[in-house]
Amino acid sequence: MRNGEDHQLVATAVSRQDAAAFGELVRRHQSQVRNFLRKLSGDFAAADDLAQDCFMHAWDKLHTFSGRGSFIGWLLKVAYTTFLQSKRKSKRYAEILDQVGHKMETEGQHYSVQSDEVADLDKLLAVLDDDERAIMIMSYACGLSHREISDATSMPVGTVKSVIFRGKQKIRTDFDIKDHQHG
Amino acid sequence: MTSKIINMAEKVKDAEDRLLESMFDSAPIADDGFSAKIVGRIRRRLWLRRLALPVAALIGGTIALKPLAGLVTAAVRLSSLLPQELLATTSALLPQAPLVVLGAMLLAAFLLGLRALDD
Repeated sequence: MRNGEDHQLVATAVSRQDAAAFGELVRRHQSQVRNFLRKLSGDFAAADDLAQDCFMHAWDKLHTFSGRGSFIGWLLKVAYTTFLQSKRKSKRYAEILDQVGHKMETEGQHYSVQSDEVADLDKLLAVLDDDERAIMIMSYACGLSHREISDATSMPVGTVKSVIFRGKQKIRTDFDIKDHQHG
Repeated sequence: MTSKIINMAEKVKDAEDRLLESMFDSAPIADDGFSAKIVGRIRRRLWLRRLALPVAALIGGTIALKPLAGLVTAAVRLSSLLPQELLATTSALLPQAPLVVLGAMLLAAFLLGLRALDD
């Protein structure tokens, strides 16, 4: 139902160049996109800037949305592409990632308002590379199916499955999840 | 063998999956004017795009008007060197050419402006 409404809003936004219809799509999905980018980058302010860029790119490319999959899947694909482009452009990203490890130890002001779970999640995500991190977030945080993740990352479904499997193995190796579960 | 294990791991949502889901779970982020900011940026961009063509046409037309008028005047002078019978009809039309071009450009700009306002 919600997917159908999304598709209708996309059609209106594209055919009439209707900014209000697109605004409704932004309002519906901004939380998931911003959460995805926050987890992916580890930097809340940078993630929100990226989210704005992502929605502007989405507006420019809205006519390319075929309506075959879910709109959020397509949107996360744009978000991930925006993230990768920004990472390529900016060397600052490397510094941020370096700082993430330091911040988790010192619990700096940026993370001071976050719960312990967020810090734990950052630790888990730090052992994964970009693709693995994006796929794990799409799967576990955004609830996308393997097919939707495959569309979003332009990877075959089999590769997505093995990346998830490998990601879980890495997490299992680096962290004693069972201890965390019971502790 | 490995692919079988992967397929099994996908189908069965074990405790580890549930734990990961709970760890990845986070509270929804409030909009707090985020979507309004995006819509504002898009509207500004749409206006700029719609205004760019008429403005460029007007500027281009203004710049081109003087050389065009000179060209037409030169053509009229040149026509005096040609047989008068040949130019009897065309020479009467030539001095009006800059006016026709200007009129066409103004009309185009007016129509584009109307369309932009309509949208």
